[in-house]
Amino acid sequence: MATVVSSERKSRLQASPLVHLDPLLVIPPILISGLSLLMIYSSTHTRLAEAHQDPLYYVKRQAIAIVIGLVAMVIVAAIDYRRLRELALWGYGATLLTLVAVLGVGAQVKGAQARFDLGPFQMQPSEFAKFFIVLVLAGYCAIHRGELDGRRLAIAVGIAAVPMGLIILQPDLGTDLVVLFGVFAILAMAGARARHLVVLALLGLTVATIAIRLGVLEQYQIDRLTSFAAPNKDTANSAYNQNESKITIGNGGLLGKGLFQGMQTNASHVPEQHTDFIFTAVGEELGFVGSALLLALFALVVWRSWQAARVSSDLFGTLCCAGIVAMLVLQVFENVGMTMGIMPVTGIPLPWMSYGGSSVIVWFACVGLVANVSMRRFS
Amino acid sequence: MVTSARVRMSIIGVIALSLFGVLFARLWYLQVASGSQYAAAAEQNSVRTVELPAPRGSILDATGHKLAWDEPSNVLTVDRKLKNPELTTVVKRLSILLGIPVAVIDKRLADVRVSQYAPAPVADDVPINALAEFSEHKEDYPGVKAETLATRRYALGDLGNSLAFHILGYIGEINGDELEAAPKSARYFPGDSIGKAGIEKTFESVLRGRPGEQKLEVDNTGRVLRVLSVRRPVPGDNVKLTLHSDIQRVAEDSLQQGMDQIRGVQDQSDKSHYTTFKADAGAVVVLDASTGSVVAMASNPTFNSNQFVNGITNSVWKFLNNPAGNYPLLNRAVSGQYAPGSTFKLVTATAGLQSGDITPDKVIHDTGTFQRPNDTRKFTNDHSESYGDVNLARALTVSSDVYFYGIGSDFYDASVAHQPTGSLLQSTARQFGFGKATGVTLPDESSGRVPDAAWKHSFGEAEIARAGGPAKCPLCDPDWLPGDDINLAVGQGDMLTTPLQLANAYAAFANGGTLFRPQIAAEVLDPSGRPLRQITSVADGHVPEPARDAMLQGFSGVTTDPKGTATASFGGFPAGLVSGKTGTAEVQGKQNTSVFVGFTPSGLVPGQNPRYVVLSLVEEGSYGASTSAPIVARVMQALNHMPLTNVVIHPPSAGN
Repeated sequence: MATVVSSERKSRLQASPLVHLDPLLVIPPILISGLSLLMIYSSTHTRLAEAHQDPLYYVKRQAIAIVIGLVAMVIVAAIDYRRLRELALWGYGATLLTLVAVLGVGAQVKGAQARFDLGPFQMQPSEFAKFFIVLVLAGYCAIHRGELDGRRLAIAVGIAAVPMGLIILQPDLGTDLVVLFGVFAILAMAGARARHLVVLALLGLTVATIAIRLGVLEQYQIDRLTSFAAPNKDTANSAYNQNESKITIGNGGLLGKGLFQGMQTNASHVPEQHTDFIFTAVGEELGFVGSALLLALFALVVWRSWQAARVSSDLFGTLCCAGIVAMLVLQVFENVGMTMGIMPVTGIPLPWMSYGGSSVIVWFACVGLVANVSMRRFS
Repeated sequence: MVTSARVRMSIIGVIALSLFGVLFARLWYLQVASGSQYAAAAEQNSVRTVELPAPRGSILDATGHKLAWDEPSNVLTVDRKLKNPELTTVVKRLSILLGIPVAVIDKRLADVRVSQYAPAPVADDVPINALAEFSEHKEDYPGVKAETLATRRYALGDLGNSLAFHILGYIGEINGDELEAAPKSARYFPGDSIGKAGIEKTFESVLRGRPGEQKLEVDNTGRVLRVLSVRRPVPGDNVKLTLHSDIQRVAEDSLQQGMDQIRGVQDQSDKSHYTTFKADAGAVVVLDASTGSVVAMASNPTFNSNQFVNGITNSVWKFLNNPAGNYPLLNRAVSGQYAPGSTFKLVTATAGLQSGDITPDKVIHDTGTFQRPNDTRKFTNDHSESYGDVNLARALTVSSDVYFYGIGSDFYDASVAHQPTGSLLQSTARQFGFGKATGVTLPDESSGRVPDAAWKHSFGEAEIARAGGPAKCPLCDPDWLPGDDINLAVGQGDMLTTPLQLANAYAAFANGGTLFRPQIAAEVLDPSGRPLRQITSVADGHVPEPARDAMLQGFSGVTTDPKGTATASFGGFPAGLVSGKTGTAEVQGKQNTSVFVGFTPSGLVPGQNPRYVVLSLVEEGSYGASTSAPIVARVMQALNHMPLTNVVIHPPSAGN
């Protein structure tokens, strides 16, 4: 396909890439983030009102993050992605520095040292790391296309492993898991041998096991990881969250209790509902129909990104999109699966839905990157 | 894109597709396939039900006076969600405001009977000035609210009791057995109040009403978010009794007066020990003979229902169940069983007339002693007094035992086969309602006992078995003997009756033969006082009256004849107003039971049928004529609208 240059293509080459912008790719994240404002309001306003605070506190902050995210998406989409390859190295370097710094001076939240306090806002470098790891890794693999021998593969793995190592020290196992899938997809698409990939997978497992054994993970994180297997054993502690989460989603039924009418949601029965467990609010208030529609929107983004990977004019574009597809699929599956009790509890947000600025901005940047690749498929 | 890359991209696509497929499937399972199960769990999580008690119906007397009612009481409640240190401060301030110890308030805060989601009442009957103080400084009492709650109240009698304590009964917290026994549809919960005795118990379903409920949505800390639904309680209906509180009051007071007085009197029959009469318990029953309704019913000792309302203390409960306190909760009028003594002669006379053994005019020479031919055993009148020639009326008036011993003896001889269920004597007793609960709507009614051969046989065998063989119990005899009939004829031996049964038997005689089921409730009224249901009197049978005039004459003589046993007590009454019969029952190991049953008018004046039957019984209270007749006389004064005089007992003097 890439070798055929038709007259039609020539005309396309001359047109602005904006003409080829895929609306099915960029509109769903905007819709999802709009829904996130409603659901964050639903899951926080009673608590805030009781504490005599602005019931829109979280909604306003999330709205600011969405605006920043949209700006980031436009910027990332506007700069030709082939130029981003060079620029990404700077971002990668800066990410490494912040990941080191956050371990030293970061704010401790829920047992993990993962954020910077920047005035009224916090920054989570691990979220930004996702984006830059994908770009830099894709860039490296694209240069050596088809020739990922052992040495080069080691370098490629190193590019990902250094920031991942810093992330696991926070410790943030969930983000690493997501990144790992992205890295895998990129390496697979870059032509890494199947046998190398298997070795890599085993290596990843070993590292995770060692991390647990060496006590890098806190006991509560291990509990969270294992409790999903026996959720009724101890509802008071780690499995409590997941049990309440399932009840809340189940309470929604086919059509849901109606927006802002969720009994479990209003009563704050699900801890962390506005962040990692935001899907439960959707489940209870909008029911199966609403939740399935939300999942369909995610699936739409995944499909269009997958398509972008396939039609990309070069390997770098393909690798970027493949990495993002893999990360998005895994993050949605892990987050939603966790709220429905089929995945262990790891603290990762639902893209564009969960409260949290860094995640929203980075995921808009990611979709910006995919849009970038997608609309420049003819150039 | 090279082919291998295409394949790998497709693999990623397939993985993505299957992961999303799993999510959709799980979502369907949670929300649609098992959604109802999770919805139930969510409801349990978030919805709390608080019961709203229904105002309990009132109990009224026949004239509409309130005997038991729910009264609004000013209550201060404390929010259970109040946390320390605020809570400690508030409790301390309340303690000073109300003059209640902190410990008492803390205890009520911890009271499990109040729903966790309802504020806990910490003080009832809060005085107005304390309420004013509270409302002026509300900010000093966070979480405290002034509310009006219903409290059960009972009209007071004159003895430190609640009027008609044993009839009204009392309410209390429902216990495990009652919870189990209550039908599911009645919706009782732990902590609910329930009638424990008397009318409060037997008319529980009428009085209680239907509690309402409030469904509250609570958050994960138990804080109430909003009210989901409210079902208003339906107030209970009122019960109007046949009781007249003025007569009830006189009955209670008169009984107490009589008992108090005889207690100061020496028991002459006990020569070896210088003892006074114990007279520690008694009962008075007043029936309207024309309908079988209970006009008054007193039992002594008595108690105050108001003490049960907020739960009684341990010390009070111990007192109530201590034998030395003589069981004030027992309604002796329906639960107590006593030998009727000579009052039973009503039955013996009727049976004798029925069988033809006697006629009204048959004269017996009473030498003071009765002996069966070829039998050495002697049956005597009290102090073996001789009454000379007596006919039926005379025998009743002077209470000649010898006259009735003969009838009993004849019944024994006439029923040689000793039918298990006895002779005409027993069957007549049963016709008068003895040996079977009357069916009055009061709890714990005893059935009494009409002794017969079958009963004596099983009783005697059981005694022998308990003793361990006939040799070890020489006095145990499973056989029906002449003495059994002779004793029964004068209401002694194994015959037992409740005061209500005995009064009811006389009512049947007095009204011309109708044995009513005694009635205590007249009608059910709705909360606004409109009648809902009339409770009509029920006739349970008929009694024969073969020689009514002669017997009426005999009973009249009891209160009017110079030799009448109770004439001394009825001196102030016009002739023909009161008749009656004394009874003095011997009790093994105890002093005599004093019994008197009277009726008014006497029935001797044409067109004036006896209307009221009044019975008094005092345990270990000397002669019927000594203690019970004066008690009855005072109640008769009230029934006949005569000025009340204090009870004057007539203690037995030596040789009387």
